Amino acid sequence: MFDISVTDDGDVFLSGRFDATQVERAREDLGRINSSCRIHFEDLDYIASAGLGVLLSVQKRLSNNGDSLTLVGLNNHIREVFKIAGFDQVFKIE
Amino acid sequence: MKIGRFVVISWRSTSDTPAGRPGANRLIHMHRSFERDVAALENIFHFTDEFASANKIGKSATFAMNLAIEELFTNIVKYSADSGNDISIHLDIAGNDLVIKITDFDVERFDITEWSKVDVDRSLEERKVGGIGLHLVRNMVDKITYEYEARTACITLVKHLEDLNV
Repeated sequence: MFDISVTDDGDVFLSGRFDATQVERAREDLGRINSSCRIHFEDLDYIASAGLGVLLSVQKRLSNNGDSLTLVGLNNHIREVFKIAGFDQVFKIE
Repeated sequence: MKIGRFVVISWRSTSDTPAGRPGANRLIHMHRSFERDVAALENIFHFTDEFASANKIGKSATFAMNLAIEELFTNIVKYSADSGNDISIHLDIAGNDLVIKITDFDVERFDITEWSKVDVDRSLEERKVGGIGLHLVRNMVDKITYEYEARTACITLVKHLEDLNV
C-alpha cells in the first residue's frame, strides 16, 4: 500500500510501495507542491523508475523558480536506487 | 482482479539448501502468468514476496527482484501492448543464484540488452523523465540474457545470492 500525507508545515511523507500503479495518484498529490519542501522517506519501503520519474518532474518544475525538494530518511535500498540512477546528483538527500 | 492463470511450484529438501541460508523446505520454483496490465503488479509482488519468504531471500535481493520485474513487466506492457497474451514469470533458485525468467508470447523482437546506456551524469535540466528503468535493472542484477524464437521472447535475469547480508 502506498500513501502520501502532508503536514501543516508542508513536509511530505511517503509510505509503502511506490510502484508504477501509483504514478497517477502521486502526480496529482505531489503536483500541488509549489515551493521548496522536505519529502520524508522513512516509511517508504520501495521505489522504482516510475516513482523516480514523478519526483524528477516535480524537481524540474520547482527548479524553474529556484526551489527544490530535499529528500530525507531514505533506506539503504532506495538510496542505492537513487545513486545508480544518478539522482543523488539532482536531489538534495539528507 | 485475477491473480494468475496457473501456478507451478516445486519443493526441495533442506539437504540442497545453499550454505548460509539454512531452513525448512524451500520453494525452489514458482511459475505464474499475469495479465498484460500494469495493475497486475500488486499480484506480482504477492507472488515474489511468497517466493522470497519461502526461500529466505534477503531484503536486498528481494528489492532487486521486485524492481527488475516491475521495470521489465511495465516495459513489456508499454511496448508490446498489442499482444493479448498473459506474461509468464518463472522464479528459480539454482545453487546460490536467483533466476528470474519473464516470457512474452506472440510478440515482435525487442532485445533489451541492445538498448543504449543512459547517461546518469546529466544535469537536472538535461534529465528526461523516464528511460531509467532498464539502467536500474542492468545495475541491480548480475546477468541479463534475451532469447527470441517463434515470436516468443524470454528475458532471463540472474542475481547472485551469496552477496546478501541483509
